Amino acid sequence: MDRPLGFARRAGAFLLVLTLGGCATYSATRGAIEADLAAGRYDQALRLLAARPVPERDRVLHLLDKAMIQRLAGDYDASNASFEAAKQLIERLATLSVTETSATFLVNDATAAYVGEPFEQALLHAYAALNYLDLGDHEAARVEALQVDLTLQALAEDDDGALAKDPFARYLAGIIYEMRGEESDALISYRKAYQAYKAHAKLYPIGVPDALKEDLLRLTGRLGLGNEHEKFREAFARANWSDPGRKEGEIVVLLHNGLAPIKRERRTVVVPPRAPQVVSLALPDYEPRFSPVQSARVVVGGREMPLETVENINAIATQTLKARLPAITARALARAVAKFKLTETARREDKAAGLIANVAGLLTERADTRSWLSLPGEIRMARLRLPAGTHRVRLDLLSSGGTVVDTQEFDVTVAQGGKTIHSRHWFSSPSPRRSP
Amino acid sequence: MNLAHSARHAAILMLVALVGLAGCSTKVSRIETEEVRDLSGKWNDTDSRLVSEEMIGQMLEGAWVNNHVRRHGNLPTVIVGTVKNLSHEHINVNTFVADIERAVINSGRVEFVASRDERGEIREERMDQDVHATEATRKAMGQETGADYMLTGAINTIVDREGKTAVRYYQVDMNLISMTNNRKVWVGQKKIKKVVEKPGMRL
Repeated sequence: MDRPLGFARRAGAFLLVLTLGGCATYSATRGAIEADLAAGRYDQALRLLAARPVPERDRVLHLLDKAMIQRLAGDYDASNASFEAAKQLIERLATLSVTETSATFLVNDATAAYVGEPFEQALLHAYAALNYLDLGDHEAARVEALQVDLTLQALAEDDDGALAKDPFARYLAGIIYEMRGEESDALISYRKAYQAYKAHAKLYPIGVPDALKEDLLRLTGRLGLGNEHEKFREAFARANWSDPGRKEGEIVVLLHNGLAPIKRERRTVVVPPRAPQVVSLALPDYEPRFSPVQSARVVVGGREMPLETVENINAIATQTLKARLPAITARALARAVAKFKLTETARREDKAAGLIANVAGLLTERADTRSWLSLPGEIRMARLRLPAGTHRVRLDLLSSGGTVVDTQEFDVTVAQGGKTIHSRHWFSSPSPRRSP
Repeated sequence: MNLAHSARHAAILMLVALVGLAGCSTKVSRIETEEVRDLSGKWNDTDSRLVSEEMIGQMLEGAWVNNHVRRHGNLPTVIVGTVKNLSHEHINVNTFVADIERAVINSGRVEFVASRDERGEIREERMDQDVHATEATRKAMGQETGADYMLTGAINTIVDREGKTAVRYYQVDMNLISMTNNRKVWVGQKKIKKVVEKPGMRL
């Protein structure tokens, strides 16, 4: 009666190896898509993305990637449709799944549905808002600004750490309210952005952007919040600050630079003494993706202004993983123990079955390397007051040595007292475009 | 013998899987437009219908219609302005604005003129007629009816959430503003409150 059991187990293990053998980690299969993106072949990148098989658990990531590529291609309507689908899916997946949770204990972490890290969820709304702004639909952008608030509120319920507060999403929400003349709503978002920058500064180097200081001073002054205004004057050392008035307009230039870091698998293999089997531990680790652009400046009519970092996605992603790693490691260890016991039981009944169980255990132990890879590595911003009229804006992208890596030029139309946002995405291509 | 046994098992399993797959085609069933189907708790057709029904009732019962008729001796003419979406959801306001327009026109007590978006095309056509249509059928320019009132409004929301439960509160305000003196002649309001509870677990 021993034989059929052994056979069934062997067959089962073999089938498991067959089905899982072909599952490379999420981040390992990206090369071709990114080459197309860097070269500006967005249609080709979208075709490649569509051709990839998407298991249900990776569907949110697929939609986020698709939305970002559609945004890069300038198809803002389609991009928002994809973002909207991702939002609905995230909402549905947010409830704990029974089958997925048990699978993460038996197989690996990547078997659970991916719903995005807090910064990814916040930036989803930020990029959807930027899409609406690029379409000229400020009312819909305001809807996204409100959703930023709801999302971050919900995230803060589970985790009141700094990483559940997204500074850029808050800041952008404030700018959107101010664009619509809703100054008190804008101030609330600016304050929250200020708190978020200060909280993030405790984890990695980032300062409160000068532009945000300016916004806080301007709005507290205009809304007649004397005490708060004085407090900000003191905190920012701007004793001589005065309101710029409403005569001029303002342009906000955003540079979405580089690409978010990529998770790689780090594998540790252990051979326990006195047990003829191999135990492995696979953990994710972030690998930064270097961008040749390390700073930037805008030049308008002879005036020059540097761009300042408003969101360091590289650092936020790394810090998020660092905070998660203890739990990830604990789960991986628990799995290693469970797989070890399973293998030992199988080996005692049948040597070959034990070997197969061991190999299956090793192959199924994969790190969860999923993340929103088409996000930029950082967002930089400059805000300029300009007289009403049309202006030619030059954006110089500079290397760490200060040499110009690339230059982009575009026209902006400024209305009196108006505010417009201009986004530029940049990441290095194999053959970088030369500046004219 | 054992092998045959396993093979039979595998065959049965595959058959079960196939039967399961056969049920995967899309199923569509038609329902009445009045039937309430709340899926996600977001703004849906039912909310839109409730708002339009309420607004139509309030607008036609308002004293402003009779006041206008008494004072001017003709039916009031209304133009649809913008209904702002200040909510946290991407709401299509056109559905209930169109509902209101239809019901109010059909009541025979109020007249509507084409809104800013609609009239562009009409004017283009009129200009085209000027060149291409016969004298008898040509419609002259400068004969449009000027509206007496503009219909404007806004949707606002408040969301309160705690864990798996959320309360969504919608308030729709609509105004009729006199074009002559900016007086508000009618104000309508509809409030909707929903409690949305999320399941604790899924499979």
